[in-house]
Amino acid sequence: MEDFLRTFFDQTVNGLVIGNIYALTAVGLAIIFGVGNLINFAHGSVYMVGAYVGWVCVTRLGLPLPAAFGVVVVVCGLLGMLIERLGLRSLQNSARIAPLLATIGISFVLDQLIQLTFTRAPQSFPSPLPNTRFPIGGVSIGVIDLLIAATGIGSAAVLYLFLRYTKLGWALRATAQDRDAAQQMGVNVNAVNQTAFAVASILGGIAGMLVGIYFSTVYPTMSFQAGLKGFAANLLGGLGNVPGAVLGGLLLGLIESYGVSLFGATYRNLFAYAILILVLLLRPQGLFSRQRQAPPEPLTGTFVPNSKPIHVPPWAIAVAAGAALLLPLFVANPYVLQVLTNAWLFSMIALSITLATGTAGQTSLGHAGFIAIGAYASALLTQRLGLPFTVALPAAAILTALLGTLLVLPAFRLRAHYVAIATLGIGEIVNQMILNWDWLTNGVMGISNLPPPSFFGREAVRIQDVYWYALALLGIAALIQWRLVRSPLGRTWRALRDDDIAAQSYGINLNRYKTLVFASSTLIAGMTGAFTGHMYSYINHESFTNTISILGLTMVILGGMGNLIGAVVGAVALISLPEFFRVLVDYRYLVYGLTLLLLIRFRPQGLLGTV
Amino acid sequence: MNFLSKLPNPMRLLSVGALIWLLAACVVPATPAAEEGPAENAAAEPIYIGVSGPLTGQNARYGEQWKKGFDLALEAINGAGGVNGRPLEYIFEDSQSDPTQSVVVAQKFVADPRIIVELGDFSSGASMAASPIYQRGGLVQFGFTNSHPDFTKGGGTYTWSNSVTQAQAAPALADFTVTGLGLKKLAVFHLNTDWGKTTYDLYAARAQELGAEIVATEAYLADEKDFRSALTKARDANPDGIVLIAYQADGALIVQQLRQAGIELPVVGTGSLLSPDFLKLGGDAVEGVYTESQFLPSDPRPQVKTVVDAYVAKYNETPDFFAIHAYDTIQLIAKAIEIGGPTRQGVHDALPQLKDVPSVIYGTANFDLETQRVIDPTFVQLQVVGGEFVLWDGSQPGAQ
Repeated sequence: MEDFLRTFFDQTVNGLVIGNIYALTAVGLAIIFGVGNLINFAHGSVYMVGAYVGWVCVTRLGLPLPAAFGVVVVVCGLLGMLIERLGLRSLQNSARIAPLLATIGISFVLDQLIQLTFTRAPQSFPSPLPNTRFPIGGVSIGVIDLLIAATGIGSAAVLYLFLRYTKLGWALRATAQDRDAAQQMGVNVNAVNQTAFAVASILGGIAGMLVGIYFSTVYPTMSFQAGLKGFAANLLGGLGNVPGAVLGGLLLGLIESYGVSLFGATYRNLFAYAILILVLLLRPQGLFSRQRQAPPEPLTGTFVPNSKPIHVPPWAIAVAAGAALLLPLFVANPYVLQVLTNAWLFSMIALSITLATGTAGQTSLGHAGFIAIGAYASALLTQRLGLPFTVALPAAAILTALLGTLLVLPAFRLRAHYVAIATLGIGEIVNQMILNWDWLTNGVMGISNLPPPSFFGREAVRIQDVYWYALALLGIAALIQWRLVRSPLGRTWRALRDDDIAAQSYGINLNRYKTLVFASSTLIAGMTGAFTGHMYSYINHESFTNTISILGLTMVILGGMGNLIGAVVGAVALISLPEFFRVLVDYRYLVYGLTLLLLIRFRPQGLLGTV
Repeated sequence: MNFLSKLPNPMRLLSVGALIWLLAACVVPATPAAEEGPAENAAAEPIYIGVSGPLTGQNARYGEQWKKGFDLALEAINGAGGVNGRPLEYIFEDSQSDPTQSVVVAQKFVADPRIIVELGDFSSGASMAASPIYQRGGLVQFGFTNSHPDFTKGGGTYTWSNSVTQAQAAPALADFTVTGLGLKKLAVFHLNTDWGKTTYDLYAARAQELGAEIVATEAYLADEKDFRSALTKARDANPDGIVLIAYQADGALIVQQLRQAGIELPVVGTGSLLSPDFLKLGGDAVEGVYTESQFLPSDPRPQVKTVVDAYVAKYNETPDFFAIHAYDTIQLIAKAIEIGGPTRQGVHDALPQLKDVPSVIYGTANFDLETQRVIDPTFVQLQVVGGEFVLWDGSQPGAQ
């Protein structure tokens, strides 16, 4: 019994410490979401900048800890203002999706800058704190644990007072409630936004520095996971809800700590995201937000921009398709063909995402999970049951549609950003299942020696054949999708996207149409996964990570939401650009991020516009 | 950009797009193929090795270490007149260790007639997705960090590896833990990758054979940073030793958090811990950690000492596991080119003929023709003392 209590106490402390860090990150995200209605993907990068600035101050410049804190506050505050200026203000009158993409671009640039400046090696951050531990009963608490707790609670308190009792705080809350009304009342909305970004980034930066001290290490890949956990904590508490974010962060930390204690470290994320989905099912508005009948403005309506799409004449499409088809006859370089094959496969991923996200307004960040399901389904069908690829591919696609739709079912009650984060969680859960279900997926060892893709006995061994098969699949997917979005079904989907309340009052059964759109979308994703897996010949849990989901969504936004041609153009652009930048070696992804930012700046509605 | 705003939208799009593609196109032909390493024999045409590995992204730091090892080896080889009188060079293409990109790199190398052998990739997913492409292109893929048991089966006689096989290293580590150090109740932390899992299975089997008990097993993902909950759990199983099947950064984190949690148990880890990073990141906490490896930086044997000294002189740090593997591999490939000639077929045919190749890691390397891997590596037992890896003095932790 005593043992149990000791374990329980220790795990609670562990959970609260890491939970405080999550809370600090989540609060920043909540503030920005509140005023800007924006999921800030650059927040994890700001957190990393905070960690590195703190590290430079303490280890290189030898500053005392309080001074280092001060520098982190100033640098991250300024960085936040800069992000607002670049990522938000210049895109103010464009659709909401544009700033989202801008923050993705900014995070690329920040991550690369940190890597290039401080090398890719993790750096040692020797704790500037005394290493004393205070015994409590049979256990002990360290100074850093206390510092983290104090900073977490302290910042939350200061933030509360700021929002509650200062004029700027009022303005901030007013802007969060209704931006246009606030502006009419004389609030300088731009200044408020800038303040919000500054405050959020300061909190993020402090969290990063504390984590650096806590783990005695700073490393240039710490941003991504931090951002994800921040979103999850935020959603647990209720998006944009500041006290909710604090509680959500602490809760997430505790859940993870107990989860690791019960099931082991590999299950940390599975446990965290499963709880997240469960909460969404039971309380879609988050644990600590009051039920709202409808958001103050229909988020979905303004989320997807209304722009006039560029009309691409049918003959141009026919010429392009014909050129793509004949290309292998004239270009023998397998490198070029492989790049284009990847582009066709990613075009299918982008089509699949744009159907759910662009046409029906159900933003998905979890498509990597569906692709993985397709790949594993086909791999297992061919290897365990000995089915030919010709049969396994459609079977895997149908299986993905079934499983995928089933997995997304809990998210049907959600709207706008909630859907995005819920699908992100679903993608993670799929990944964790692949990792942990050894009996089915062979766990970390993956599945090797998959036969190359083949149709009716014709194996695609030469790259030309792989290319044509991929192109043919893309053609089929595009034609089906084109028929679908032009049919009455497509109109219903767009109605769902533009105003789901109006659609519902016209008698449209939302769940039925959401089921249909996700089934069609995951069918294409599953087909792509099956083909890609056999092309690779070996797949494991790392073959389809959530970076694919984000890359796919980026392609969709870049091409224009719901725009089929746009999806293909976006995919070809984002797959081939890094190849063009290959000669830049280390600077490749920095330039890629900058290019992305430029494209958004000048074409916020997407290259070809929304359909 | 005012003049742009006057244009109608599609035109604006076109001009911006054209500008970017033009910029991209300008960069491409402007750069020569590769300028790595010194070109001593400017007259002779260099021999090229293709390297596919991570230079950006999650695993970029391993690619960085590879480069250091490659550059040092090439300096030595080219300084001594190159291979068959021609300088040896490498072309490193970034794959981010991502299969989407490693297949592209593979096609690029296969299409480039200058490349006669390929090294890498880093992760199993990226490496094995590329294997069939290399096989079809008749280009040998030589993986030097690929311990996945199926790796050398992926591309017929075109896939080789000199990576340490866990079938040899893991049981040897178990012997050291149980027989050498006398630890009987073990809590094992292992990286949940194909390398970590294979090592763990082999380690656990041998440890149990020797009469030890695995009282706790904690698998963790490569990006895990917070081990406190897992450590608390392991502590409650009352082990008498902690075993780490880990890389450098995560290994250092675990030991540090172990000591911070007030757990003072002896720690034994795999040879992958052997690096200056582990010592730097772990600080005082890693003092006393045991490990076993094929190679010791302070080894007095001349073939090790000269390499380590040259490395320290060039980079001001001792080489780690990855850098020294990279170094060794270039030397081995140079040998193969010497025997078979500087062609793809030559390298392919020379690999089975290699015998007793001098190696920093193995002393001399020999290959098993069946598995296309190195046979019979020997191991040395090490301990961290005074912030350095030194030979283990033979005393058991309890007896000190």
